[in-house]
Amino acid sequence: MIEVHDVRKKFGAVQALGGVSFTARDGQITALLGPNGAGKTTLLRTLVGLLKRDHGTIAIDGVDPEKDPMTVRRSIGFLTDQFGLYERLTTREYLTYFGELNGMDRAAINRRTDEVSELLGMEDILARRSKGFSQGQRIKVALARTLLHRPRHLLLDEPSRGLDVMSTRALRTALNSLRADGCCVIMATHVMQEVTALCEDVIVIAGGHTVAQGSPDELCQRTGIASLEDAFVNLVGTEEGIA
Amino acid sequence: MKARMKSKFLIVFIKELRETLRDKRTLGMLAMFTLLYPLIIGMTLHQLIDKSTRTEREGVELAVIGASKAPTLMAQLGQRNITVKDTPPMDEDAIADLLRGKKVAAVLRLSDDFVDNYYAMRPARVEIWYDSAAESNAQRREVEEVLEAYGNNVASARLLSHGVSPAALSPVLVQRYDTGSNASRSAMLVGSIMGVLFLPAFMLTMSASVDTTAGERERRSLEVLMAQPAHTWELIGGKWLAAGILGVVGVTFELVLAHLMLKWLPLEEIGMSWSLGWGELALVCLVTVPLSLLASALYVTLAMNSKTFKEAQTILSFAMIVPIIPGVVVSFMDLKTATWMYAVPMLSNQTLIKEMSKAGGAHALPLLLTFLCSAIPALLLVAYASWRMKSERYVLAV
Repeated sequence: MIEVHDVRKKFGAVQALGGVSFTARDGQITALLGPNGAGKTTLLRTLVGLLKRDHGTIAIDGVDPEKDPMTVRRSIGFLTDQFGLYERLTTREYLTYFGELNGMDRAAINRRTDEVSELLGMEDILARRSKGFSQGQRIKVALARTLLHRPRHLLLDEPSRGLDVMSTRALRTALNSLRADGCCVIMATHVMQEVTALCEDVIVIAGGHTVAQGSPDELCQRTGIASLEDAFVNLVGTEEGIA
Repeated sequence: MKARMKSKFLIVFIKELRETLRDKRTLGMLAMFTLLYPLIIGMTLHQLIDKSTRTEREGVELAVIGASKAPTLMAQLGQRNITVKDTPPMDEDAIADLLRGKKVAAVLRLSDDFVDNYYAMRPARVEIWYDSAAESNAQRREVEEVLEAYGNNVASARLLSHGVSPAALSPVLVQRYDTGSNASRSAMLVGSIMGVLFLPAFMLTMSASVDTTAGERERRSLEVLMAQPAHTWELIGGKWLAAGILGVVGVTFELVLAHLMLKWLPLEEIGMSWSLGWGELALVCLVTVPLSLLASALYVTLAMNSKTFKEAQTILSFAMIVPIIPGVVVSFMDLKTATWMYAVPMLSNQTLIKEMSKAGGAHALPLLLTFLCSAIPALLLVAYASWRMKSERYVLAV
């Protein structure tokens, strides 16, 4: 469970987060919606303890990432907005590296590598070095890395970008099984279909503030608009920033 | 759970080292510097030794046209171990060809009217042909000295026969004393060789330092790494050690090769000495380990702030010049070895090996200072870089 209360963050004169509050529950997929520049990346970085907040509280399963970032990070799988692979390492070596960094032993790493690659349908690239991987293949490897250590919490920044239909389905299956396992998933996305299909809960942030939180249906009811996309635009109050 | 105990620092180190060793460019550099440097040093010294011993071994070969005209001169040349090759008359081009062949140091041509002039006590013309671009200048000077001495002798004899003391001809008696020994003459050379020996510490560590920091940033994998449950000192430390170890291995191999080479060459011929034993060499290698680690610490600290590989490379190629400066200044100002020199990284290593190769033996203070003057700043730099990586400004720029 991730509880965020009135988190504010200022960079010089720029107020990146002006008061973000929400609760993301276990066994649910929570969508994080917001136009570009709304503060999503700052929020996610604050959650893993890379940035320090100026105000407010954060509790990830009761642990404050600012006080004990190592414990928090061990319980989080973080798929960043931009990520690179190591071109001279094979996929298996890449996964082993991050598995070890998360304190897993070799046997566990090998077992999980097989499980995760089966889940994402990436057995064919396990032994290959990542040089020349397609965007879809790259994001699969990054996703596998995120899931490898069975984190209780997942922070996914646009996990479906660049994936083909088959892979998107595989991702959906993976997310459903994570939910079934009782994981707490926060997924930043711009694809409304995904939100309606997958997410129980939606957080809308704009201009560094939480604008609304609720299920997709609740948001539509509150705004009196039937389509989630239009409801989102209405909540954000602008037409910009929709992918 | 043994694997669980594996330190994050080691995990990062092993991964970075493995990745670096898969880079053919880095491996090529490693091979080149460890093999090429000792080879160049060896070849330079070999040539020097060869040149300085050639005169003694072979004597001077001199081609003389019209040798029969001055038998006494020829005899005097012979006494100075100058071999006279009697040569038939030839024109300018033929002489130039002969000199170009480097078989003779110079060509002496006695003019046709040499004998007539000699007896008439007019200046008898002797031409000396030489190639000033060739390496035989010292040998040519020897020939000239003989000619001068011969001229003086004849002049003295003539004056004496006229009842004049030959001493009247030499109002000034010049005597030359050369205090320059072979050793001091080769000091410059030794200095430059010592300077070169430790340079690979700064060359071999560069590529990996840049690749694991600025490169990782450019490839956009750094944020993910920083979000892992590992402290920044473990990340920086692993990267630092992976880059540094390349320098350590390279410099050690290179020193061993150079040692073999220098032990094998007859250095005493040019007044140099290499009285280092294997034990002392091992000590030098050991106290040189922190030098490579300082290089990689410096590079990691600088390169982590660059956004791209290229940007970092430009900055580091400036940084690489800095450690060379003290050694150049010291040899330029011709400073005597002093204790403070052991407290300057790089200069300390150069001074240490220079002194040890001269006198042999190992002294605790220079060794300790050499070790510490690189080790302490290296650790400070790693601490600084780790602290820097933790800062928000750095996270934001990633």
